Order: sequence, then structure tokens, then C-alpha cells
Amino acid sequence: YRYSAPIKVDVEYIQGSHDQKTRVEKKGVVIGRMPIMLRSCSCTLYGKTESELAKLGECPLDPGGYFIIKGNEKVLLMQEQLSKNRIIIDMDKKGNLNASVTSSSERIKSKTIIQMENQKIYLMLNQFVKKIPIMVVMKAMGMESDQEVVQMVGRDPRYAALLMPSIEDCAKEGIHKQEQALAYLETKVFCVVPLFCYCLGVEGLEVLSGEELHTPYSFLVLFNGNILGKHRKPQHFAAAMRKLRRAGKIGEFVSVFVNEKQHCVYIASDGGRVCRPLVIADKGISRVKEHHMLELKAGVRTFDDFLSDGLIEYLDVNEENNSLIALYEEEATTETTHIEIEPLTLLGVIAGLIPYPHHNQSPRNTYQCAMGKQAMGNIAYNQLHRMDSLLYLLVYPQRPLLTTKTIELVGYDKLGAGQNATVAVMSYSGYDIEDAIVMNKASLDRGFGRCIHMKRYCAVNQKYDNNTQDRILRPNRDGFDSGPMRVLDDDGLAAPGEIIRRNDILINKQVPIVTRGQFKSALNDSEFKSVPQRYDGPQGESCVVDKVALCSDKHNNLCFKFLIRHTRRPEVGDKFSSRHGQKGVCGTIVQQEDFPFSERGICPDLIMNPHGFPSRMTVGKMIELLGGKSGVSCGRFHYGSAFGEPGGHADKVEAISETLVRMGFSYDGKDFIYSGITGCPLQAYIFMGPIYYQKLKHMVLDKMHARGSGPRVSLTRQPTEGKARNGGLRVGEMERDCLIAYGASMLLYERLMISSDPFEVQVFTACASLINLPSRYFPLHVNKPFYDVIPTLPSQKPNIPTLTKLFSHWWTVRILSVFI
Amino acid sequence: MDPQPEPVYYICGDCGMEIPLKPNDVIQCRECGYRILYKKRTRRIVQYEAR
Repeated sequence: YRYSAPIKVDVEYIQGSHDQKTRVEKKGVVIGRMPIMLRSCSCTLYGKTESELAKLGECPLDPGGYFIIKGNEKVLLMQEQLSKNRIIIDMDKKGNLNASVTSSSERIKSKTIIQMENQKIYLMLNQFVKKIPIMVVMKAMGMESDQEVVQMVGRDPRYAALLMPSIEDCAKEGIHKQEQALAYLETKVFCVVPLFCYCLGVEGLEVLSGEELHTPYSFLVLFNGNILGKHRKPQHFAAAMRKLRRAGKIGEFVSVFVNEKQHCVYIASDGGRVCRPLVIADKGISRVKEHHMLELKAGVRTFDDFLSDGLIEYLDVNEENNSLIALYEEEATTETTHIEIEPLTLLGVIAGLIPYPHHNQSPRNTYQCAMGKQAMGNIAYNQLHRMDSLLYLLVYPQRPLLTTKTIELVGYDKLGAGQNATVAVMSYSGYDIEDAIVMNKASLDRGFGRCIHMKRYCAVNQKYDNNTQDRILRPNRDGFDSGPMRVLDDDGLAAPGEIIRRNDILINKQVPIVTRGQFKSALNDSEFKSVPQRYDGPQGESCVVDKVALCSDKHNNLCFKFLIRHTRRPEVGDKFSSRHGQKGVCGTIVQQEDFPFSERGICPDLIMNPHGFPSRMTVGKMIELLGGKSGVSCGRFHYGSAFGEPGGHADKVEAISETLVRMGFSYDGKDFIYSGITGCPLQAYIFMGPIYYQKLKHMVLDKMHARGSGPRVSLTRQPTEGKARNGGLRVGEMERDCLIAYGASMLLYERLMISSDPFEVQVFTACASLINLPSRYFPLHVNKPFYDVIPTLPSQKPNIPTLTKLFSHWWTVRILSVFI
Repeated sequence: MDPQPEPVYYICGDCGMEIPLKPNDVIQCRECGYRILYKKRTRRIVQYEAR
């Protein structure tokens, strides 16, 4: 169940003792198996055409890039880490200033922290047990005199003042000489030397003194965090390095970053820096010219050619701070160093699905990025041939009327996750407050928001240690169990195509009663117990057995997989969302006869409350409505790519309005609407048009739950938690506070004392101490003199008569469960 | 219990052959050796509700 390839090695070794040595060669010894990334060059699907993929049962839109391990799809995940070999300055919990660096090379990895505590500077290193005063380290490195140290650090008198407490500290310890300091410590020094930098005039460290290291007229050059030396003309040096990169002499991902503030030039070639490509501009004039683009269109030129010809280059975060990037070519000035290839590439796949995101309030786009992943749609062309453990599919997915360039690039228009709903922005019926949506019943009948819920159930025919195994029996066709068994075939498994309801049997299995101990050969019927697996789907719904697969698992047990399909139409409480972070639940479903309609007879699919707009400020949604409306009327898909108006990747509202007017609508997207209930025209014109709506996977059917009495946890005797365990609903602290504040004392009493885990103890009235005796010795709820009870007590119980003398009365008290 | 259970037919996931299988048979296609088999669709009449 793993998609992998053998790792073969050729082995060569010497066999035998001194005089008879023989050389043994073995070719192609398999030492392990390496998982293959799908659609990589080693994958069978590599380079296959769409029809070839279809023949193999694979989806051509599947991007690959994942692995199959033990039958599951696995992906490599990116991790964010603190950068290595860079000095990071921060404040720790105690408010001490820390400068830390994680030094990493092929061989060693260590973290060095320089900490300022009580004005003294310390060094912390893994090799040392505790903090080392910085001056000890300096002396160990050979700077014996304090003056030398101060000079090395910098000649600004402020540095000397900062160092004073540390110097005093060190003197107190009595460390003056290098040998003394080295008696405490050990250090290691290593360095990597890139040749180019020295050729371009970097003066090496060995020729510089401590004084020269801090001259303000030259910049420190650092390569991957290590000091290379100094350069007098940093801008010239950086320009030369960049020229080398554009010429392809050094790697395209090498970054050159001049930090004016720190007087440093940082050169980085290590991994983990996110780089993005940009068009190079000379004094604001793009290097990419018309003929380049024509060559690209003709297929003569590729992206890599743009890179190697020095038209496009990669910048990392640091170098971006050295450049002035223009969003559009027209905006470039003489200072501009780079031009964005296309502004819509600023957003990724998920944010790229939002039309006109640059017109929305930014948190709305963030919400949509979280919600777009919960939308139901289609996952692949072969989705119905797969056996996913849980799948939500849309029955009639549509391609958005208002698309973006990103949608086309990622194939969202081929595998949509929503439908174009005609939305009327108006108030209707009062069931639309707080973002609720009023839906048209006829639209639902036509398939709007209809979805398929597919779930996989597994069963195993287990083998046991004592040579016994489970068995699957033919169903009992006329016994008392024949009802739930009616979906079973003669092999005891549910048959595909059968309608299945809750508590129907999926598999008629029997398990041997004794599964351990000595070997057994044949078992008779009495040695088995029946453990049929029942379908635990929603109550009252009819689902269908979609597919049943038989296979063997990794322990060679027979394994059965049932795929159960349930088609659902939207109901009150199902969650929907547009592409602008505007989610809402279905508040009510109304007959089309009662729905408002326009003069052309257009009736909306859903009604959205206008109060959703003012505070959310999702102007993009309004433009989507306008663009969609003009799109359906003129027969052209409109675009709303991010920042796309100047580049022609987004239709302008002005142009959309012109189209609307041409098609006989009002320029502002508002329509003349009749009330469906009275038949009279509405007082206001209604903003109406298509908006792409997603159905989210949170559906009431999966969440709806209520219970009277039910199972309890044996430890606490409190009701269980969660829908799966038929649990109770918690009256939590806040709910309790509400009841207290309202003064609903009897409700409180019932919820806290009776309904959860009622418990009664007996308390002496005089001293309020608890009596530790089972309650059956006491008549409930009646305050009686204690001596009345005594005749029923067993004789060996402790000291009751003595207690009786002391206390004459007891009370029964109910213990409050929440406060325990 | 019946003395001789009727074999139930399954479909190979790879070559699509129909394979009769009795209890305790190995789950494997006799033609191509593929180890995943699918059950055939029920032969009883089912009436679905279209709503």
C-alpha cells in the first residue's frame, strides 16, 4: 500500500583472511524503499496526457506533489524557523536584552546568547554550565588588556561605559591573563570563504585591526552570518554582486542586502529564505520589452530564459528592503529598481479565489481564506471512484460568473466549489436577521446547494492467536433480525445500491468467544457470539450503500470497506457563504410564490439582509454582484483579479455599469421588484444579481442533538459529553451566572442538584459534620431525631450510640455538583 | 445452515473480471492477481426517493 521504488546499491567488499583475499561484487542490492512523489519524474503518471491519465483512472487536474504511504496521502509540510547564523536581538521574560545566534554548519549546531543582566554582559553557550562574564571570553580570545577589548568593540565612549560593569566583574574574579581565562573556557573558530567577494575588493579580517573594524567609512561584509571582511564602497560592491547574479555567475537565489543603519552588507546563499521573482527595471524602465513578450507568446522564450538573460530576478525579504518595487509599469519612477510581474501573484491560491479582494476590508479576505477550505465542491474527476474516509461533494457545482486569473490558473473553474445564486439584498420575513439567509424553495428543488455526503466504514475479519478467526454468516432472512439484515447479500455483506437506514446491519459478523490460549481447530456455532456492525448514520434519513470493497490489510486479515452515500438538500440551519467572508445560516425556506420578483420575472435564489454590508464593508461583494449581473446579461465571464483594474485583469465598475445600461438594467444594479406576497411593487429598488455562493460543510444534520436522560460517566456519575456518546448539554459557569442574575432559583436547583449527579449526605445540625453512612439508613427528606434510625443500624457500625448522645438532629443535604 | 453456500460474484478492481468467491477464499483476482475486489450491485429492486 505504499507507492515507492526500491533503493538499489552496488556493493563491493573484500572477503577472506590475509592470504586469500577475494573481492566480492554484488550489484543491485535492495537496501530499502523510497516513497515516490506523485507526478514527479520517477512517477508513472509523469508526462502523461489527459486521455492517458483518464484511462488510468487518474484526475488530470490533480497537481501531485504528495506521497502515498500505507494507503494515505502524505504531504511535506513547511516549517517556520528562526533563521540560523543571524543575530537576533530580543527581550526575554525578565526584560533582559538578549542577542542570540544559532550557529549551524554541516558538523556542529550551537546557540550562542549574549545577555545583558543588571548592566553586566554575559555569554551563554551550551558547552558552558552557566553564564560566563563577557570579559572572560574576550580575555580567553587573547585580548588581555581592557583597552584592547574596548577598541575591538568600538571606539565610541558609550561602548566603554556599557562595558564598565562587566570589566569590574571580571577583575573581581581575578582573571587577567589569557591562560587564566582559558582555564575556564574553550573556543572554536571556523570560517567559510567565498572567492568572489575578495575579488570585488573585500578586505579580509586578517589584515584589519580592531580599530579599523569600526571605521565608519567602510561596511562590514557578512556571508551567511560569518564576517568576511570590510568594503569601502558597499553600494558599488552590492551592485557588482547583483550584476554577477544576473549574469548567472552566482546562484539566482543569492541575496545581497546593504544595511545602512548597521553599516553591513549581508550576502546570503543558504536555504529557508522565501524568494519571489520581479522584473528588473533600470531607472524605472522595465528590462522586459515588447519583443520579449512576443517571444514568450510564440513559445521561443521560457521563464528560465528571462532569468538567465537578467530580465527577471529573485529577491528575498532583506533585498526587497533595498529595492523600490512598482506595482504597475506606469507607476515606475526613476528611483524604481523593480516592477511587479503581475500584482495578482501577491496572493496565493486561496485568497486568489476572491473577486475584487482589493475592494474589501482586509479581515474579510482573511475570513474567506479560512472559510474557502470548508466549502463543498468537487475534489477530482475520479472522485466517485475513490474510497475517501469522508467526502463532501456538491451535486451541481458551477464555475463562478465573476472569475479571477488565479481561478483559471489553479483550475477552480474546472472543479468548482459553489453555485451562482441570484441574490436580492433586502429584508424579508424577519428570519434573515443576524446574517441568516432566506432561501427559495424552488431553487432548492432545482438543485441549489444539494450535496453528497460520503463516509467510509471499515470492518475486519480478524484472525486470532489460537488459530480461530471471525466468520461472516449468511443473513437470517426470516428471523427476528431479518429487518435490519435486509440489505445483506448471501455473503453477509451489505450490497451496493441498497437503501440503508440507521441500525441496519452492514456486516453479519460473529466472533469466537475464546480468542486466546491453546490452539483450536474447528469451532461449532455455540463457540461464537454475534457482533453485527450496524450503520450509525442520522436518524430518519435514508442513505445508500455506494460501494463495497474487499481487500486484505497489513496483518493479512480480510478487510471490508463500505462507502455510504447520503444526498442532502439544504435545510434550515445549513451554513452558506459568499466569497467575501460573509457567512450565514439558512434562516427559512420560502415558497417561490411568496418570493419577490422583477419585471422580467427574475426571482432570486436567496435573500440576504442588507445589514450585512455597512459594518463589513465588503465592497468587493457588491462589485461581484454588478459584474455577475452584467456577465449573465452580455454572455461574457467578467474578471475581478486582485489589483487587476490597471492591468486589464479586472473589469472596472464604470465599464460594468455601461454594459448593464446597454442590457436594459439600471447602472447601479438595482431592480424594480414586486412583492411576492402582495403583488405590489416594493417601495425601494432592490440591489439584485448573481453572487457565487459556497455551501460550507457544517450542516445541522451532523450537529443536531438533544437528550433527556441517557448515559453517564461511571467515575463522576455525570452525563457524558458529546453527540457521539449521546451526551448531555452543559449548563456552564456563564449559563449558571445568567440564571443566578435572573433569579431563576428553582431552575438552578433542578439543573445543579437533581439533573446532573444527585448526591445526598446526612449532616448533624449541631456541628455540620457529615455522617459517613449509606443513605438507606436514613428516611429521605425528613428531619428526624437521629435515635429513630438506630434500631435499623447493623450492630458493628461505629459509635452511633455515643454520637446520639452528643447530637440529637441531622439533616439531609444535597451536594451541588458544579462546585465540587 | 445450508450445506453448500452459493458463491457470490465480485468484480476485480483492475481488470474488471467477475470472480466467484466462497467463504474463506483468498481475496485475489484469478486473472490478473489484483487484491482489491468490489461487490456487485444488488439484484433486488430498489426504489429511490427523489425529493
